[in-house]
Amino acid sequence: MSIGTSAHDRSAYAIEAKQLVKHYTGKGGNVEAVRGVDLAVEAGAVFGFLGPNGAGKSTTVRMLTTLMSITSGSATVAGVDVAADPYGARKKIGVALQEAGLDPRQTGRELLQLQGRLFGLSASRATDRAQELLELVELEDAADRMIKGYSGGMKRRLDLASALVHSPEVLFLDEPTTGLDPASRITVWEEVRRINQQGTTVFLTTQYLEEADQLCDRLAIIDFGTIIKEGTPAELKAELRERKHLTDDPTLDDVFLDATGRTRERLAGDVQEVA
Amino acid sequence: MSMFQQSWILGRRALREALRTPDSLIPTLFIPVFFLVVNTGQAGKVFPDDTPFLKGQNYAAFQLPVSMLLAASFGSAALYLVEEIEGGYFDKLRAAPISRSAIVLGRLYAEFFKSIAISTAMILIGFAFGVRIESGILGYLLLIAMISLWAVVFSGFMQLIALKSRSAAATNAGGLIFFPLLFLTPNFVPRDNLTRPMEIAATFNPVTYLMEAIRSLVIEGFEWDTIGKGFAVVAGGMALMLFLSVRLINNYD
Repeated sequence: MSIGTSAHDRSAYAIEAKQLVKHYTGKGGNVEAVRGVDLAVEAGAVFGFLGPNGAGKSTTVRMLTTLMSITSGSATVAGVDVAADPYGARKKIGVALQEAGLDPRQTGRELLQLQGRLFGLSASRATDRAQELLELVELEDAADRMIKGYSGGMKRRLDLASALVHSPEVLFLDEPTTGLDPASRITVWEEVRRINQQGTTVFLTTQYLEEADQLCDRLAIIDFGTIIKEGTPAELKAELRERKHLTDDPTLDDVFLDATGRTRERLAGDVQEVA
Repeated sequence: MSMFQQSWILGRRALREALRTPDSLIPTLFIPVFFLVVNTGQAGKVFPDDTPFLKGQNYAAFQLPVSMLLAASFGSAALYLVEEIEGGYFDKLRAAPISRSAIVLGRLYAEFFKSIAISTAMILIGFAFGVRIESGILGYLLLIAMISLWAVVFSGFMQLIALKSRSAAATNAGGLIFFPLLFLTPNFVPRDNLTRPMEIAATFNPVTYLMEAIRSLVIEGFEWDTIGKGFAVVAGGMALMLFLSVRLINNYD
């Protein structure tokens, strides 16, 4: 299933994947984690990628961000083929994965300076950029404290800042608010909106449907490694209301449960749960 | 920016962390010093200063290289690496547009400088035991270079275990490999005084040649043939470790 508008020119897509497949050998044998995913995410969009645990969300993100090899199929991010030119792709993307990937023995400022240097900024530019980002995510007061003393919300905001150090064209956020309290979650949402308004395409995986409803222009639901629904939140809700002849407006939760429940019935006994 | 510059940027981070956690260096020094004290105390009377292979020095001079090699095996690079793999920072680094080899090499740079500091401290402790470095300042520099490069090789192999297993427990257990290597050597007496089976085992153990090279610098002076074999072991180990590390990190999924 192709996501996006086919009438758009190819160059309009910030992310494009064709028949993306990932197989690997796990403890329980051969696992088909992603089974032919097609994506076409328009530049400047916030794209939501939803699915239950083990559906293949994170595996897809890891392939798109060059962290995992692709078994078959192809993917381009910001116009760069991630398999053929992973180095070029990394220069154009920012990544904040499920675990806030931070070094606990550095200060927030040091971590951002280091990240800047690794992305090719000069030492003085990296220092300036670190300060800008610390202000952006409101961590100036904690900038010179060890990260191991940060709260979960502070770590998440710092992780987000570290993904922005080189002003990426495409930002991948893998479950950015998992484990955060409601106030911290809203702060992250505000950051995501602000980043997107500055022109960055955001690819967001989440299990929180309210989050997807709040932030995403379009979304896709993946289950058992295959995309089973796509559209804008409004389109998906309208389709369900019409198909089920509902009198009340369905929520995105209803859409999600309908889509994944139906898939489980269809694929019962024919799939492997993946990690 | 070259891979070496990238490695150096990451290495400086690791050095900064080491300076912030000096307590982590205590076991690195304490255990080798403990072995030096115990082994010298137990065998010092058996091998007095006029023992031919001691060349007028006391038995601590013979034991110091053993303790220095033990200290060189206590690098923390692999444990920090596996912690970063488990915590997600490793992926953050892998997502940066840098050579992936630089991620592995960065911590090894830091191990080199840490080992210089620890080896120097061990030599100063050796002086307190009455040990002299027979080869003088140049010998000291060669000795420190050899030990510190070996610390890099050993830490590199430990990092391989960390990368392959992605487990702190497995990485810790991997450190135990060194103990047979350290003790299947002429660590108490010269090789020609060992029993035949032990001599054969020691001859096939590359650590033997390192130990003999370091010992020759402490006790003999410049025995270039022996010193050359020590550096050859370091060079061979380094080449193998770098080859395997680059291959593994580039195929890390």
